[in-house]
This record gives sequence, C-alpha cells and structure tokens, in this order.
Amino acid sequence: MSPARAVLVKIAGGLSILALWEMVARGFAAAYVARPSGILRVLPQTLGSEAVLRGTAITLWGVTQGLIIAVILGTAVGLLMGSLKLVERLLGLYVNGLYAMPMIAILPLLTIWFGYTSKTRLATVVFASFFPIAMNVADGARSVPAEYLEVARSCRARPHHLWFGVTLPSSLPYLLAGVRLAVGRALVGAVVAEFFVSVDGLGFYVLFQSRTFHHNQAFVAVLLLGAFALAIDALIAWLTGRYLRWHRPGEDRR
Amino acid sequence: MPRIAVRGAGKRYGELQVFRGLDLSVGQREIVALVGPSGCGKTTFLRCLDGLIPMSEGEIVVDGKPINGPLPRTAMVFQHFGLLPWKTVRGNVAYGLDLAGASKAEIRERVPHFIQLVGLAGFEDAYPYQLSGGMQQRCGLARALAVEPDLLLMDEPFASVDAQTREILQFELLRIWRMRPTSMIFVTHSIEEAVLMGDRVIVLKGRPSGVAEIVEVDLPRPRTRATLASPRFAQLREHVWNILMDEARRAEFELER
Ligand SMILES: Nc1ncnc2c1ncn2[C@@H]1O[C@H](COP(=O)(O)OP(=O)(O)OP(=O)(O)O)[C@@H](O)[C@H]1O
Ligand SMILES: [Mg+2]
Repeated sequence: MSPARAVLVKIAGGLSILALWEMVARGFAAAYVARPSGILRVLPQTLGSEAVLRGTAITLWGVTQGLIIAVILGTAVGLLMGSLKLVERLLGLYVNGLYAMPMIAILPLLTIWFGYTSKTRLATVVFASFFPIAMNVADGARSVPAEYLEVARSCRARPHHLWFGVTLPSSLPYLLAGVRLAVGRALVGAVVAEFFVSVDGLGFYVLFQSRTFHHNQAFVAVLLLGAFALAIDALIAWLTGRYLRWHRPGEDRR
Repeated sequence: MPRIAVRGAGKRYGELQVFRGLDLSVGQREIVALVGPSGCGKTTFLRCLDGLIPMSEGEIVVDGKPINGPLPRTAMVFQHFGLLPWKTVRGNVAYGLDLAGASKAEIRERVPHFIQLVGLAGFEDAYPYQLSGGMQQRCGLARALAVEPDLLLMDEPFASVDAQTREILQFELLRIWRMRPTSMIFVTHSIEEAVLMGDRVIVLKGRPSGVAEIVEVDLPRPRTRATLASPRFAQLREHVWNILMDEARRAEFELER
C-alpha cells in the first residue's frame, strides 16, 4: 500500500469511529454528554481559555519535572542494581514489587507527607515513573555482553570508564524503553493526583468540567493529555533515530 | 635476553586445569605463533598475559624483572573483534588511545593514520554493524595498533574471515609489522598461518595442555606469497602438523574402541 493510501485508510478509520460516536450520542445520550460535533464547537474557545492554558502548563511542567527526576534516579539505581550483586540483592525485590503495585494505593500516604499541594503530584509522578526506568536499566546493565567489558579492561579502563563508557551506553536502548513505559504512568499519576488532592492542572480541569456538565470541554483536556503522550513518543522515536542508530533490535548485540 | 618470559604458567578453573608448566619467551621484535587444538587454553593464556584474569601459578618476567599486575604497553586483538557497537570506526579506533590518556589533538592526528593503515579509509563514520567481518577485524586491529604497544596479543585475528581475505590480512599485518616491529604473540588454529607469521611456532597440546614442541621457523623475511610455495615452508608445515596430529589420531583411536 502506498504511503498516501495508508494515511487515507487511517483517516477513514478515525472518521468512522467519530461518526459512530456522534450517532450513538445523539440517539441515546443526554445533551451534556460529549460528542465530536460538540467538542469541535467548543475547541477553539476552550483551547484559548486561560484555565486550559494554565492547567496544561502546570500539569505538563509537573510531569516533565517528575520524569527528569525519575530518569536520573532510575538510571543511577538501575545501573547500581545491574552491575553490583549486593545492590541487586538489597533492592531487587522491592523495585520489582513496587513496580507492580498500583500507585493509587500510596497516594493517601503521599498526601500526608506532602500535603494537599502540587508536591504530591510531583511525588506521584516520580513514584509512578521511577520503577519502570530503574527496572529496565537494571536489565540493560545486567545484560552488557562480557566482550565489551573485556575490551574495556584490556584497554586498562578504570571503574568510571566501565560505568559511563560501557554499561551506560550499552543499556541505552533499555533506558529508552523504560522511559516510554514511564511516560504513560507519569501522566496517569499526575491526573490521578490532581483528582485526589484537587490541585490546579489539566486533570483537575477535567474533573471540574465533568462535575459541572461541561463534558465537551472536559474532553478537550483529555485530548490534550493524549497529544502530550504522542509528542513524547515522537521525541523518543527521534532520540532513538539520532542516538541509537547503532542499535539493531532483535539482533545479537555484538 | 628475551624481553618477556613466562615461567611455569598454569591456569585452573575450579577442577579444570587448563594448562600447566608453560614456559614461553618473546624477544624484542619477535613473532611467536601459538597453535593448539580448540579448547587447549590459548585464549585463556592470552587473557592471563593481558592481565584480564589471574594466573593460578607461574610468573611473568619483563626485561629481567618479575612483574605483578598486567603487562605494561600491551594491546590485545580479540577473537570476537570486541568492537563497541555504539561507536563508529573512528570512535572504536580512538578508544584505546582515549583510555590511555592521549590528548584530543593526539587522537585527531593518529586515528586517521591507523584507519588508513588497515585500509578502512572512507568508513570512519560507519558503525560496526555496517562492516563486514573482515572490516570489523581490521578495526579491532587498528585500535590495538593505535596505542603503539610493545607487545601485541593476537587471538585468532583472522579466524572468522574467508580464505582470500585472510590471506590479504596476513600479508597486510606482516607489512604493518615491518614498519614498526613489535613483540607479538599470535594465536591461531591454522598451522599454515602459524608457520607463515611466526619466528617460532609453539605447539600446545595435552590435557592439561603444555608446550609440546618449539619449532624454529628459519624462513627469510619479508615473507610473501612466494614463501607459501617454498619447499622449506611445506616441510615446516608438515612437521607442525605431525606434532599436532599425533594426539588427534590417538583421540580418534580411543573413540573407535
Ligand atoms: N571463564 C571460564 N570458566 C571456566 N572454564 C573456562 C572459562 N574460560 C575458558 N574455560 C575453559 O578453558 C578451556 C580453554 O578455553 P580457551 O577459550 O582458552 O580455549 P582456546 O584454546 O582459546 O580454544 P579455541 O581455539 O576454540 O578458541 C576450555 O575447556 C574452556 O571450557
Ligand atoms: Mg580461543
């Protein structure tokens, strides 16, 4: 299929979903239920509204901050876990266990530590995104081929050469896979935290608009969150193309 | 006096005694070829010399003084190439220099020279996955040569390339060696290659393995393709072959019994 046709098919798929939604909403739902035509109608005004702009900025900045902290901490802990047996034994069980644990369960505790403030959102985002990153980087550091380390040692590498010159670059594909997982979890974490502690942001905007029966407006904010996830995915794809050209997925890493 | 002498070297992995009582010396500007059956511990021995793993027994003497710790000014070419996949050819060749503390200017000056020397000019920005096996092996060779070592440890450097490329690389290496003759220990499976490259051929065999015989190769240098056709070459090759086959035949006999 030619690229142009592939795009057309995708658009056709999207349009039919929207049409179905519109028909079902018109036929069976109350007037305040969000529908494509309604969303389209409020879109320009909602996107331009001060509340949405502020909410977007606040939430995305919170998510970005949290992700940056999680990437730094997660990479450090992951490298330590993957290359030092002792750290693996100390932390392995907890990192893997906490990864699987639903973070919503810990939110009440975080509110006690950080209060009903934006710090709770930041903590939730860090908490949600740290574990997939640490786990992936640890996997990457564990599976550094022995040949690379042997070559480095033969060139009289000191420990920092091994860490930052071999283990880290060799684990980069794992790190990026971890970040991809983390982005989704971070967004969920931020929105849930806003629901729970009622701090300003896109999530709170969705909650507020839903409760006041402005479902079309609420949906615009949901779309914005989705767009952010897509943008980060595109950024990661770009980074992969730029810095991981050497990586051949599915091939023996040699 | 030999520059580097190894006395009574032995290596054990738990129960497994890989080699024992190995004596070997390498003179300045001498190429010592090491042959032996697969699994006799050739790679293990080079690893010991390079200081990657400790020897279980024996000592290494450099210029008359016993040393502890890895041999100074030594570079190894690995059986598995050992290229770092996230580095380009240029980055890989620079790696040894970089870790040895060479300055940026020095690296910029020397790296292109060694890339040129091994015939990889034009591939400076290629990643290892974009290179053929022979090119990857040359890249590993350039990395080792770039640090201008006093001792080159070569672990079956041409084992994974086709016969023609192998021959080209052999003569290339001899040419490069003539330009800057260093001490070299050249491990190989191939008897022909051992006789072609070495000033001496050391034959390992047994279990645990030890030196079966040291064969002086009195072929004149420079060695060329004509050397391969000389009667003396054939004689030496047969001689080494007989030392090695002796054991193989016995193994065969035991299998059939
Ligand atoms: N890290 C290790 N732990 C335990 N045994 C090992 C280890 N490395 C090598 N050996 C054993 O030591 C022996 C010698 O291995 P080595 O790789 O040195 O052989 P080689 O002569 O280089 O063989 P080849 O010609 O196939 O490369 C083998 O029996 C191998 O199983
Ligand atoms: Mg070997």
